[in-house]
Amino acid sequence: MGVATATLVESVRARDWRHFDVQLLLYVLLLIGLGVVMGYSAAFNDGGAASGMSQTVKTLIWAAIGLTLFFVASGVDYHWLRTLALPIYVLVLGLLALTMVLGTNLFGAQMSVTVAGLDFQFSEVSKVLMITVLAVFLAGRRDRIGRLSTILVAGAVMALPTFLVFRQPDLGTAMVFVAILVGMLFLSGASLGWMGLMAAMVIGAAPVAVSMLHDYQRQRLFCFLDPYADAQGACYQLVQALNAVGSGGWLGRGLTVGGEGQRGYIPVQSTDFIFTVVAEDLGFVGGVVVLALFGLLVWRILLIGWGAQDAMGMMIAVGLATMIVFQLVVNIGMVTGIMPVTGIPLPFITYGGSSLISLLFGMGILQSIRMRSHKPTL
Amino acid sequence: MADLNDGRVDLRRSPARFVAFSVIAALLLVVLGGRLFQLQVVNGEEYARRAAADRTVEVPIPAPRGLVFDRAGRPVAVNTPSWTVNVRPADLPANDRTRVLARIGRLTETSISVLRGRLDAFRGSPFDLVPIVRGVPREAALILGEEAAVLPGVVVEVEPIRAYLDETGAVDGHLLAHIVGYTGPVSRDELPRLQPEGYLRDDVIGRTGIEASFEDELRGTYGAHLVERDASGRQLKVIETLREPEPGTNLALTIDADVQRLAAQALTWGMEVADVSQGVTIVMNPQTGEILAMVSLPAYDNNKFARGISADDFNIYLGDVDRPLRNHAIADIYPPGSTYKLVTGIAALEEGVTTSSRLWPTYGCYQIPGAPEGECLYDWNRQGFGPLAMVDAFAKSSDTFFYQMAVHTGIDPLAEWARQQGRSGVFTGELAQAGIGQNVIAVTPLQVLNAYAAVANGGRLMEPMIVRGETDSAGQVTRPYEPTLLHEIDADPGTLQTMRIGAREVITSGHAYNIRDLDLPGALSGKTGTAEFGELTEEGTLPFHSWFVAYLPSAAGATDAELAVLSFNYSAVVPGNVSAEVVKYFLQLYYDLDQDLRLDPNDFSLVTAN
Repeated sequence: MGVATATLVESVRARDWRHFDVQLLLYVLLLIGLGVVMGYSAAFNDGGAASGMSQTVKTLIWAAIGLTLFFVASGVDYHWLRTLALPIYVLVLGLLALTMVLGTNLFGAQMSVTVAGLDFQFSEVSKVLMITVLAVFLAGRRDRIGRLSTILVAGAVMALPTFLVFRQPDLGTAMVFVAILVGMLFLSGASLGWMGLMAAMVIGAAPVAVSMLHDYQRQRLFCFLDPYADAQGACYQLVQALNAVGSGGWLGRGLTVGGEGQRGYIPVQSTDFIFTVVAEDLGFVGGVVVLALFGLLVWRILLIGWGAQDAMGMMIAVGLATMIVFQLVVNIGMVTGIMPVTGIPLPFITYGGSSLISLLFGMGILQSIRMRSHKPTL
Repeated sequence: MADLNDGRVDLRRSPARFVAFSVIAALLLVVLGGRLFQLQVVNGEEYARRAAADRTVEVPIPAPRGLVFDRAGRPVAVNTPSWTVNVRPADLPANDRTRVLARIGRLTETSISVLRGRLDAFRGSPFDLVPIVRGVPREAALILGEEAAVLPGVVVEVEPIRAYLDETGAVDGHLLAHIVGYTGPVSRDELPRLQPEGYLRDDVIGRTGIEASFEDELRGTYGAHLVERDASGRQLKVIETLREPEPGTNLALTIDADVQRLAAQALTWGMEVADVSQGVTIVMNPQTGEILAMVSLPAYDNNKFARGISADDFNIYLGDVDRPLRNHAIADIYPPGSTYKLVTGIAALEEGVTTSSRLWPTYGCYQIPGAPEGECLYDWNRQGFGPLAMVDAFAKSSDTFFYQMAVHTGIDPLAEWARQQGRSGVFTGELAQAGIGQNVIAVTPLQVLNAYAAVANGGRLMEPMIVRGETDSAGQVTRPYEPTLLHEIDADPGTLQTMRIGAREVITSGHAYNIRDLDLPGALSGKTGTAEFGELTEEGTLPFHSWFVAYLPSAAGATDAELAVLSFNYSAVVPGNVSAEVVKYFLQLYYDLDQDLRLDPNDFSLVTAN
C-alpha cells in the first residue's frame, strides 16, 4: 500500500503539466457553461427563478467535484488503470447489479441509486470505466488483434454490462456500450471482415431485440418515422420537441422566455431534451456553435489518442471520442426527429451529476494521456 | 516514439482508420447541422406556427338560453343561477383531500364518499374543474366561496339552469310541464353526434316539449374566447374574444297561463268527482289554430329535471300507470267515440249517400247487410228514435243512423274524409262501427278538437299552433309566427253548415243537458262522445272514455267561433259525461259567470251517457 501510494505520488511530476492540453479543458468548460445556462433557462420555465437557481447550484457543485476528479486524474499516470482493469470490471458489474436491486424508479426505469440524497447513475460511470477496461484488453492483444477471438472476447466482456443496463431497462446506455465496442474495435485494427460479419449478425438479431422491448420503448422508438401520426400519444414529446427546435429560427427566442416558449410542453426537458432549449433559445446559430464545440472537442480527443505514448492511451482516447460522438449524434438526432427516441444524454450539457462527473473523470484520464505523451505539440 | 511501456510490443496505429473515423464523425455533425438548418431556417415559421397553435385553445362562451313567455307576456321558463362546487384536482393536495371534501360535504349535506366517488370517476386533465356538487344552496355556496383560502382546489361557480314558473311567477312546473318540456344534460352517448353542432361536454339540451322542438332557436349561438394555456392544460388568460355569444331566441307561447290554470282547475275537479285518473282539456282558437290551454293530467314538475332529477323521483314518474310524463293530449291515441260522427256525417253528405233533409229509419238494433240474420249492431238507445235526418241524428247521436251512413259511404271515402279533417283513418274493416268512432279508429284528443275547429271556422284545417312568435326580453312579441292553413276541407259549404247546425242542436236539444243554460256570449255547439274500450266488466259492459268537444260561434251555424274546448276523460265509468261537466265548469270560469250549473257529483246519472 505504501509502495503503491509512493508510486502514485511519484508519478505526479511537475514537468508533465507543461503538456497540459488547455484547448481540451477550454472546450469542456465552454460546454459545461452552456449546460449550466441552458439548464437554468429550462428549469426557470418549469418552476421559476428559484427552481432555476437551485438546479444551477447543483450543477455547479457537481462540476466542482468533477473538475477536482479531472485534475486528480490528470496528475496521476493512467497506467494504474492497467493494474486495476480486472477489479474495475468486477466493480462495474457489481454496481450495475446493485442498481438493478436498489434502483429508484425514474419514469419506469431503474437507473440510479440514491446515496445521501444524491442520485448516482452507475451506468454513466460504467461507460467511462468500461472504456478503460476494453482499452487494457485491446492494447494487450498486440499482433493477435486481427483474429476473430479479439472480437469475440471483447464482445463478451462488453456483453455482460450491456445486458445489465438493458435489463434496468436503460436502452440508451446499452446502445452506448455497443457503440463504444464497435468504435474501439475499429480503431484498434480489428478485422473489418469479422466485424462486418458480426454487424450483419447483430442487425439480423435486431427484430428480436425490438420484440424484447417494453411497449412504451417501442412506440417511442419508431415515432421519428412519422411523429404526427400519434402527436397526442407516444410521439407527443417528439412533436413538441420539433415545434420547439423549429420555432428557434435563425437566432432563437432568447433565454428564459417563459410561457412564450415551448418548454413546459416537453417532459424531462432539462435532461435528454436539453438541446430543444438550446435550439429554441439560441436558434440555428446557437445550435451550430454547440455542434462546432463538440467537433473541436472530438478532434482534440482524437489527436490526443493519435499522439498517445502507448496503445492503451490511444484506445482510451478513441473510446471516449466514440462515446461522445455517438451520444451527441443520437441525442440531437432524436430531438430533431431523424433518430429514434432513446434516453441518451447530451454530454456535458444534459443536467445530471453522474454524467458530468463521469465525463470529467474521463477527460482527466485523457489529460493524463496527453501529459505523458512524448509529442509536445499536436 | 520512445517506448516507455516496459519494452512491450504495442498495437500499430492505423492512420486510415483514424481518418475514416474522423470523416464519419465530421459527416454526422454536418448532417445534424443540415437538419437544424432544415428545421429552424427552412421550415422554422411552420414550426413556430404549430407551436403557437399548441399554446392556445378556443374556449366556448355559452349563450344564455332563450326565455319562454306565455301569451300575456308572463315568463314561464327562465334562467336562474345555480351554484356548483368544483374541484381542480391539481390544486388539491392529497393529504388535504379528506378535510376539504368533508367540509364541502358538511355544507352541502352530501356524504364524503359520494364526493370522493365523483372526483375519482373524473377522467381528464388534473387542471380541469370537476363538478362534484350541483344545485348547492346559495348560503352554502357563499360560505364555501369565503373559505376559498383554506380550501385549496375548490372553485364555486354559478351556472344558469332553467326554472319553470306557473301563472303567478312561482317556481312550479306542474301547470305547463307538458307544453314547455325541460332541458337535460347531454349524455356521453350523444356527445359524439352533438359535438359537431357545437355542444359541449357539460352542455344541456332540450329534452321534451318546446325546449326540445325549439332547441335551435332557444339555444342561441355560443361564442368563443381564445385562451392561452400551458403544457399541462391550465388556462392562463384570455387573449381575445373570437366570437361574441348570441343569446337564444325568446319565445311566446299561444298558451295563456291563466286560461291554462282554469282548464286545469276544471279538469281536476271533474276527474276528482268521477274518480278518473287521466284526463285532457284543450282550449283552442278555431280561426288560427292557436292553443290557449292544453292540460294533461296527471302532471309532473319539470323543475326536477332542470335541476337534475334523482333516480328515485324519476322512477316514481316512470312507475306511475297514469304516465304523468306523457302529454295525453298529443302523445296518446284513443277511440274517438261519437265525436267521430262528424266525419261520417260529412262523408255521407258529400258522397251523396244522404241529403240534409232525407229521413232514415233508426233501429234498436241494425241488421248489417249481408250478415247472418240476427247479427245486428245496437243503438245506444235500444228503442231506436224513429225516422231521423242528419241534424237530429247528430243531435241525438243515433248509432244506427250512422251505421247506415258508414255502410253506404264505404270505407275508402270515409277514410279520405277523415284525412281531410286531420284524422288518420287506421281502420281496415268493421265499417259500420268505424262510422261511430269505435273499434278501429284511434285519434289524439288534439286531432278531435282540430277537426271540430275546422268545421267551426268554415272548413279550414289549421295547423295547431303552440308558439305565437319571437319576443324581446320583456315578452313582447317582435316577430309573430303566422297561422298555417294545412288545407281547406273540400266539402260543400252546405254540408258543413248542416253539421254545425247539428252541433248546435246537440247543445240545445241533445245530450249535453243543462250546458244549454249557461249564459254564454254565443251559440255553443258541440258533441259528446263515449268510447268503449278494453274488456267486459263484471256487469257485462265495457269501460268507456268520455269526450266532449264544443265551440262558441256568435250564432247557430256561424263560422266566427274564436273559442273551442275539448275535454277527454280516460275510463270515466260514471253514468254521466264527465267531459261535458269539465267543459261546462271551464266555460263558467273562463267567462267568469255567476252561474254554477255543475251537477251534484252524486247526480251524474241525470246526463245521458252517449
